[in-house]
Amino acid sequence: MTPAALEPWEVFRQEKEGGPLQHGGSVMAPDAELATHYARELFGRRQESVRLWIVRRADVVDLADPDLLQPPLDRSFKKPGGYVMRDKLAAAREASGQAKPKARSR
Amino acid sequence: MTVAALPTVALGELLRSMADDEFVIGFSDSEWTGIAPLLEEDVAMSSLAQDEIGHAAALYGLLGELTGTDPDVLAYDRQPDAYRHCRLLDHGRGDWAMTIARRFLYDTADGVRLDALVDGSWTPLAELVGKLTREERYHRMHATLWLDRLARGGDESRSRLVAALITLGPDAATVFTPLPDEATLVDAGVLGAPMVDLEAQWRTAIEPTLTALGLPMPPPGRDRERGRLDHGDAFRWLWTELNTVRRAEPGVTW
Repeated sequence: MTPAALEPWEVFRQEKEGGPLQHGGSVMAPDAELATHYARELFGRRQESVRLWIVRRADVVDLADPDLLQPPLDRSFKKPGGYVMRDKLAAAREASGQAKPKARSR
Repeated sequence: MTVAALPTVALGELLRSMADDEFVIGFSDSEWTGIAPLLEEDVAMSSLAQDEIGHAAALYGLLGELTGTDPDVLAYDRQPDAYRHCRLLDHGRGDWAMTIARRFLYDTADGVRLDALVDGSWTPLAELVGKLTREERYHRMHATLWLDRLARGGDESRSRLVAALITLGPDAATVFTPLPDEATLVDAGVLGAPMVDLEAQWRTAIEPTLTALGLPMPPPGRDRERGRLDHGDAFRWLWTELNTVRRAEPGVTW
């Protein structure tokens, strides 16, 4: 039997219940069990995570095709900035008799 | 239960044995920092070692409250002969197989010992043991998965693992060395059963794992009463390492 080959595993971590799972980094491991241990040590040993997702990098569907993601034609009409909300909101406020909310204090 | 009703001397011996076990295995395993088989395992083993030092600190803290002694004095200022860790931990770090074999034997035995304390009548210890148990479960998972991988990992890793288990085997049960006056601890409900019973439980618990991998069971212990005495040269060397900073400038504060 030859030694098990190491392969990369991607680790996603959730800082608190309900929060997003964000990419933390990767670990090298020969299998899911050891990958889980190493993910725990590198991304959870200081109680900085409540959940980890550990995914074999080879199982990730990788999409980086510029034809699909960065097409050459103008796509500005697909961005929400094309719609001006300010006037619609002002009209709605007026109709409901509500004042404009103040800016949130920092 | 009031503190006055406690078998204080025997309780002190129990705490000292547990604290010294965790302290010594923690320092032994910390010797892998920087040289473990791969980077991730380096972090993992160093973290496990830190966990054990943390457990030792908590146990020395309880012992310190019981005896009115500074936990740092307990941890660092005794002569080698005054430590009461078990002889299983007196073999030096050795190779990776030796470390994994020792971790497996110790962590499984420690788990049985903790189970016998978690419902104990002395609340400070029972509560601490509840917390230790949660971390030790992870330690056992780590030791068992590595035991499995070394046993199945080819001729060299298997032969090294078997050699380590044969070297450590006769000392494995020293975790369950009878404590001075331990009957008073059992009578007071602090300890769930005598150490000899816990050893039998432990043998039953590890037998399926070792048998499934074709690995040798630890033989019956030798010289049972002295299982926490007579520390050899490997521990004397470790002792000079672990208190180097402490001895460099006695009494210094950080």
